[in-house]
Amino acid sequence: MKYKIFALFVIATLFLSACGATPAGGGGGTQNSIKIGGGFALTGDESSLDLPAANGAKLAVKEINAAGGVLGRQIDFIIHDTKYDMSVTAQVAKQFVEQDKVIAVIGFTDTDSVLASGPTIQAAGLPFITAGATSPKIPTQVGDMMFLACFGDNVQAAAGAEYAFKNFGKNGYLLWDKGVEYTTLLGSYFKSRFTELGGTLLLEDSYDDKATDFSAQIAKAKALPQQPDFYYIAAMPYNVGPVVKQFRDAGLTAPIVGGDGYDTPDILSVAGSAANGVWFSTHALMDASGGTEGIKKFITAYNKEYGHDPENAFAALGYDSVYLLADAIKRAGSTDAQAIKKALEETKDFSGITGSITFAPNSHVPQKGVTLISIKDDKFTLGAEVVPEKVPAP
Amino acid sequence: MNLPTQERILERAAGPGVAVLALGLLLIILQAAGLAFWQGFVINIGIFLILVLSLNLSNGFTGVFSLGHIGFMALGAYTSAILTLPLHEKQEYLPNLPTWLAGTHFDFRLGSFPVGFLAATLIAALLVSLVALLVGLVLMRLSGHFVAVATLGFLVIIRVLLFNADNLTRGSRTFSNVTPYTNLWWVWAWALLTIYIVWRVKQSPMGRAMYAQREDRWSAQSIGIEVMPPRLFAFVVSAFFTAVAGSLYAHFITSFSPTVFYFDLTFKVITMLVVGGMGSVSGSIVGTVLIVGLSEALRRIEDPTQLYGISGIVLAVLFILIIIFRRDGLLGQREIALDRLFMKGGGTGGEPYITNAD
Repeated sequence: MKYKIFALFVIATLFLSACGATPAGGGGGTQNSIKIGGGFALTGDESSLDLPAANGAKLAVKEINAAGGVLGRQIDFIIHDTKYDMSVTAQVAKQFVEQDKVIAVIGFTDTDSVLASGPTIQAAGLPFITAGATSPKIPTQVGDMMFLACFGDNVQAAAGAEYAFKNFGKNGYLLWDKGVEYTTLLGSYFKSRFTELGGTLLLEDSYDDKATDFSAQIAKAKALPQQPDFYYIAAMPYNVGPVVKQFRDAGLTAPIVGGDGYDTPDILSVAGSAANGVWFSTHALMDASGGTEGIKKFITAYNKEYGHDPENAFAALGYDSVYLLADAIKRAGSTDAQAIKKALEETKDFSGITGSITFAPNSHVPQKGVTLISIKDDKFTLGAEVVPEKVPAP
Repeated sequence: MNLPTQERILERAAGPGVAVLALGLLLIILQAAGLAFWQGFVINIGIFLILVLSLNLSNGFTGVFSLGHIGFMALGAYTSAILTLPLHEKQEYLPNLPTWLAGTHFDFRLGSFPVGFLAATLIAALLVSLVALLVGLVLMRLSGHFVAVATLGFLVIIRVLLFNADNLTRGSRTFSNVTPYTNLWWVWAWALLTIYIVWRVKQSPMGRAMYAQREDRWSAQSIGIEVMPPRLFAFVVSAFFTAVAGSLYAHFITSFSPTVFYFDLTFKVITMLVVGGMGSVSGSIVGTVLIVGLSEALRRIEDPTQLYGISGIVLAVLFILIIIFRRDGLLGQREIALDRLFMKGGGTGGEPYITNAD
């Protein structure tokens, strides 16, 4: 008897997975639509960045479709959640290529997901634009169909280093999350630019990914004979709140500088007013009063669609990625992958809301300015717009 | 006891033979249809199957509950990937390798057959077995919760080692551009070998010793069954196959970082093991197919319904229900006896059935 129940269970499972195989592939598009894949980790550790990015991208698709689509055809935007699980991410890439039959893929805000999905998309010869994975090494690791819609980490680290050196002082402190590629690279680019400028790092320290207690690091920083002028902390979005709060609670009041991992509402909700005095480099300031015309328009549209303001700049990056791709398709005049790739490479002064995008010859990482955000009075405010003077090699 | 006649042996082999043929047919169809997605799905099942079976050998058969096996997988993945990385990729991504390693590259082929991959996998698995032997000599003296905590410590140590052995592993940065050797045939050849070996171990005197010392250590010792040899044997063999799974994973996903080989994966594998039934080979197969299949089916439901994350919740509830209502998993320690499928007279004279001891 028990065997029968169990056999039924197995059959039901197989049936379910077989059912899943057929319907999802088609999506909701019409026969003539242009299919674009959107890979995002909507659940899991990266979701506070990927969810806004996916929302921004969906908004852009809606606007483009309302305005008549691209090349007279509607865009069918197919989103799959990759759960920040690399096995699922690799499978989703195959799903895009094989079952959804997309002509290009956009998505992701982290290097690991891009590297897990990139090879499949590259092998299929489809253009792949990452919305927010900022490692400048990605295009050489994946291949010639890979593009970034955001600046590279070397650019934002240099911007942070130059700004801190000029405004805060030449005695720095570096702390990074040694469990993640993004923070490790960001830290090393910062160090290379900061020491090149003549700055000194009084202490270099690291912590384990997803650490919740930073008292050991704080004790070491406090024990320094001379206190640094600022702290550069390369942290992941889920760590920024606790690390900033604990530094402030321990009485360390110098400015804290970081990268675009800080661009999450979590920093305000977790650290509260302890977050004041934090400076970080990111893609754009999502502020209806202080931002540019494009940003204001975007925020209004986003608010109307989702009922709240964009959570962070990744919403804008997702939005820009879609427009960047649509622009390339328009200029290519076809949905042929090679033609789109060529048009993307020739992108010049494309005005996105996260800045103007130009691809230099032989580079698939755009030349873009960096926005520095300063947290004041428990709010994100525009600190500076910076184009770094010199950028460390990727 | 009658010695089995040739006819009996044939009858016994018929069931598993049919199963293997059916599997082979499925693989050939998938290969011929060129469906990369479904090939990937079946490859994932195969890799998890090896992980679950080898964990079963250690945790299920001997009752020594290890939480550190994913550490062996990580070691297997990194070792084999470092070995197979082509020379120009090595210079690009691992410029600081010690010279004797920098010059080795197991990317050679015999015709179109990647012998280098096989060699690298075997070397990685043997090295990991050696590590397991050394670790096991100490840890297998522990029992119960202590061994779980100690092996968990092992997992953490491996992770820290991988992060800090920057010259070998690129530290926290993603290890990428591994050659994608892994395909259906590699995975399922290894999976079938794992099933066979684990099955044979279960039926062997060594396997019986594992059970005996698990159920009652003092009684087992009182009748002359030593505790250490079967435990250590299970631990080392299971580490071997876990490392193989690591190598297959590395050459399938082609990019990974130490973060992958940690709690999430550990508990995913343990879930499959517990759902299927600890101590049952066919239970492991059922648990793996069920969880991987269900994850995929639920993922497909998420897209049209927009209920992202629902699959995790459903799986968690299912797991809780199984723990409440079927504490020993779906199969407990019983087996689906494929070898009796075609036996006349209900298979009397075959090997004794393992019945649920509880």
